[in-house]
Amino acid sequence: MFDPGRPLTGVRVADLTMIWAGPYGAKILADQGAEVIKIESPRAWDNIRTLLPPPVAPGEHWWNTNFYFHEYSRNKKSLSLDLASDEGKAIFARLLTHCDVVIENYRTDVMDNLGLSYEWLKEQREDIIVVGMAGFGKTGPEKDAVGYGPIIEMMSGMTSTSGYGDDGVPYKSGISYGDPIAGICAAAAVATALLQRKRTGQGQYIDLAQREVMSTLLGEFYMDWSMNQRLPEHMGTGHDWMSPHNVYPCAGSDDWIAICVRTDGEWEGLKRAMGSPEWAERTEFSDQILRWEHRAELDELVGSWTSTMSKTDVFAALHAERIPSSPVWKMLEVIREPHIKARGFYEPLRHPEVGIWSVHGWLWRTDGAGPCILAPAPEFGQHNAEVLGGLLGLSDDEQAALEAGGVIASRPEGVPVASEMPATPSML
Amino acid sequence: MSEHNQSQPDASRPYDGVRVLELAEGISGPYAGRWLAALGADVVKVERTTGDPSRAFGPWPDDLPDDETSGLFLYLNGDKRSVTLNLDTSDGREILRELASSAEIVIESFEPGYLAERGLGYDELSKDHSSLVMISITPFGQTGPNANLPATELTLYAACGQMWLTGHPDRPPLKNGGSQPSYQAGLNAFAAISGAYYGAVMHEQGSYIDLSMRETYAAMAEAFHTRASQLGIETQRSGNNLNALWGVYEVSDGYGGICALPRNYPAFARAVGLPELQEERFADPGQRLLNNDELMAIMFGWFIGQTREGLLELGIENRVPFGFVASIEDLTNSEHLRSRDFFAEIDDERAGSLTYPGRLWLSSEHDWKMGRAPLLGEHNVEVIHGELGYEREDLVRLRELDAI
Repeated sequence: MFDPGRPLTGVRVADLTMIWAGPYGAKILADQGAEVIKIESPRAWDNIRTLLPPPVAPGEHWWNTNFYFHEYSRNKKSLSLDLASDEGKAIFARLLTHCDVVIENYRTDVMDNLGLSYEWLKEQREDIIVVGMAGFGKTGPEKDAVGYGPIIEMMSGMTSTSGYGDDGVPYKSGISYGDPIAGICAAAAVATALLQRKRTGQGQYIDLAQREVMSTLLGEFYMDWSMNQRLPEHMGTGHDWMSPHNVYPCAGSDDWIAICVRTDGEWEGLKRAMGSPEWAERTEFSDQILRWEHRAELDELVGSWTSTMSKTDVFAALHAERIPSSPVWKMLEVIREPHIKARGFYEPLRHPEVGIWSVHGWLWRTDGAGPCILAPAPEFGQHNAEVLGGLLGLSDDEQAALEAGGVIASRPEGVPVASEMPATPSML
Repeated sequence: MSEHNQSQPDASRPYDGVRVLELAEGISGPYAGRWLAALGADVVKVERTTGDPSRAFGPWPDDLPDDETSGLFLYLNGDKRSVTLNLDTSDGREILRELASSAEIVIESFEPGYLAERGLGYDELSKDHSSLVMISITPFGQTGPNANLPATELTLYAACGQMWLTGHPDRPPLKNGGSQPSYQAGLNAFAAISGAYYGAVMHEQGSYIDLSMRETYAAMAEAFHTRASQLGIETQRSGNNLNALWGVYEVSDGYGGICALPRNYPAFARAVGLPELQEERFADPGQRLLNNDELMAIMFGWFIGQTREGLLELGIENRVPFGFVASIEDLTNSEHLRSRDFFAEIDDERAGSLTYPGRLWLSSEHDWKMGRAPLLGEHNVEVIHGELGYEREDLVRLRELDAI
């Protein structure tokens, strides 16, 4: 029975990705029903397992329980395999005959250095689809540059577009924005390549440069440069014709609300929401152009209204008038916000060593789909026997020999001692 | 059949012969449709009779507003065909139904309920067409108490939690540049459509997808929402410096930056070459964050003596994640990007010579078509008369009824 929420059911993915961008993409494939086998070497394992300080009660296997690792690895399987060894590579070659897709986000030269070039992968499976996600791509003079999401954001032009506007300083976004963007695009690339394979019988190689994907999100700025040789101005939280259009302080600690007024009708609604103050009738606020010209003063006045109330009370008043607005939700708030809760966006994740917490579920919701999360992130090497024994037919003795030789493992080597990790979560 | 529906599919275009009906305005839906068109789909863009509102947003050549030369519209709508339809007329709705029956994919971004109220919801459109894939892209999704609340880029950025994380800790929260809530939703929509369409081809069964722009962006909170949910720890915004080795710094000719994980530290310290970086209070990962302020002060001093290009070179030589804040001008002129054919170069009859991002990735088996965007209603005759078989007199009547 076809589950429309999991359109990639039947697709098997050899997932060599690490850290953020690649795992985010492979997560989307897994959520969509692909069998994603996350492959890590006993010695070169995914750093995201231990990048952040451990949970309050680290437990013995804290590399399996970190919240950040679970974010990207739910619904995946885990195979530990040393691809740098001849034995590991031979097993990987056998596994490839059962795989449709290989996805990796190593530095641009790593796959070739490991002897895992596209040509070699293709020799193992003629119609394999390979997605390489090096930050700057596999060709060109800057191909060897190294970058995580924040570097991608800077080098894509994104950071140059953001800032308060009064100090000339460009600002990065609060996340490693380049990473999820590249991951989403990789999921689209895999589905597109699968479709083309269905039509032609051919696999393919996809060179997906994270920097380039991010740069496609800046189309109008490229056009302005091309048309008028003009670079984007830092707009802060303002707008080039709307006012009010800003974040306004509310009662509480570092509490804010975003409010935008697009039309005269919405201005009338905002006035009602504010209790029709006298100042709002002044001539300089009587139409959109005048309000924009007097935006600094208008922002002060609107802020003097919002700052007397909680952000949820301001939001309730604006919601009733259908004014575009939203509290600036904090992390602890957004996961409990009523609308997102009503839609079931966050789903419970159960782990035997940690208990229950919530992570985001479906990125998009297919009609008729059940819960997104079927399993927490796998333990390191949890599916070694299933893959090596079940899929490849290796005997228990053969698997034991591999483990004795360090080709596979049930625990990663060189994990930092949890108690020695710096406990400074605010700095990540 | 038009030239867009060849009987022999073009093997180098994965979506060749696939018809997409784009009932989407602004950025998100058109961004997704744009890449489907570039990969061979016949994207019929249905515009209201006054046109997609993005035609009324700049930039324009020489700052002269013109609905046919909006840079935003031209970027997002290349290689599509434009048909105008008034869905408040019964003729307009009938034509839409006929178009949908010939389409494999429908992308729409109306307010929740709009299409269903007009008999054009997924249930109706898929009644005799069970393989149809349809996606609705809206700020808050199709359900829930705020489904019909209007939104802007700013309010979405606040609603998804990103704004809380962005900006200087001593200043108000900040918004990213441009229209990121819309663009990221468009990229997610492209991924959703490509997966769902593959499933529809394999199983001859379509699907209906509800995509909330706010949710796709909320999912990118990385460690921060899941830290909140597992450990109950709130995250404060950290401006340009999450820590000393993760942030943006001023350099002699602009801004540069670094994003180094603990494992990158040895190579970083070698590349920078300052002896104090070898001291245990910085070199030891357990102590480094405890001495973060001191390390950051050293970094401010070091970065200001660097140049943007010099940083990138140093990073390449030493395999350290250095970079610089590149401008759109830098990128347009980048030898690296040009060597990879990243840009589409188009000589648009009205808008002049344009250079803009022309693809998402490079493939050994397909390439990307980058044609011009359609004029408003440019393909009314070709589609409504030529393909749906309406007579020319019908076109006159439809125009006079304000249906097209």
